[in-house]
Amino acid sequence: MTALDRMIVLGLLGAAILSFQLTAPGEAGERVVVEQRGKVIFTAPLNSDRRVALSGPLGETVLVIHDGRVCVESSPCPRKICMGMGEISRNGELLACVPNELLIRVEGGREKEGEYDLLSR
Amino acid sequence: MTFSAGEAAELERIRRRIFLSLFVALAVALHTLEALMPSPAPWFRLGFANILALTALFLYGGRAAWAVSLARIGIGSLVLGNLFSPGFLLSLAGGVAATALMTAAKGLFGRLIGPVGVSVLGAAGHALGQVTVAWLVLVRHDGLWNLLPFFLLFALVTGVVNGVASDLLLELLRGHRAFAGAGGAGPTGGGESAPEN
Repeated sequence: MTALDRMIVLGLLGAAILSFQLTAPGEAGERVVVEQRGKVIFTAPLNSDRRVALSGPLGETVLVIHDGRVCVESSPCPRKICMGMGEISRNGELLACVPNELLIRVEGGREKEGEYDLLSR
Repeated sequence: MTFSAGEAAELERIRRRIFLSLFVALAVALHTLEALMPSPAPWFRLGFANILALTALFLYGGRAAWAVSLARIGIGSLVLGNLFSPGFLLSLAGGVAATALMTAAKGLFGRLIGPVGVSVLGAAGHALGQVTVAWLVLVRHDGLWNLLPFFLLFALVTGVVNGVASDLLLELLRGHRAFAGAGGAGPTGGGESAPEN
């Protein structure tokens, strides 16, 4: 292992850590937005607790908003990955249930405009 | 028995061709084995197949590395039956980006850089290439970029592991008689095998 090798490894480690910071979720979000096939089918503020059933091709997915956090409580999909994704509360965070075609997103709070402009070219 | 200069060169060429085809065969085997292993996401690959491209790069130069990488992806996809599928596209994008970075780094730094550095750069290039193509072709969602840090960190670890493995393999091969003439046997080898390609 040469000195340059070590420098490259350290440099990339730095880049990885930096990219973790850049993509770190933003501040606490304000509302939940649910999309299905590219269309917004449901929005709700995060600060009021509620439980809502959203229907997809497989059946009803139950979404719970509690203490400013949102999670999937039950879902008809086979692998329950969306339930395993846990709770989200910050701007830009996502829950997705691919089989039931639901994309749950938290919006609001401080926008991270600059980064997204850069990434979407 | 002694060889004339012409015969020695001919012997070297044939040896080189045979070893490159063995490298490709081994890389295809590793490529297939990796696809069989369980992985947390379809794009997480340990990249063991890259050890062979890396070794070819250090023994025989840039064009050999390209040959091993591209042949490995092409034949490997035929074996797996996913030629031209999205998975193949991701494989190809990652492979091309990785090989481009690796050959560029080797060409740029020559003897200053070792297998570990080249391997880590290649692994990072692999991750970047895959995420870019996944974003362009498969999921046009900016959330995909949130995966990049995890990919990069993972690539760093596998890159170091593969680099060390390649280093050991190179040491083993260079100690062997058949590679005495191939690049990097002594302090004069390595980069010098590249120009004759």
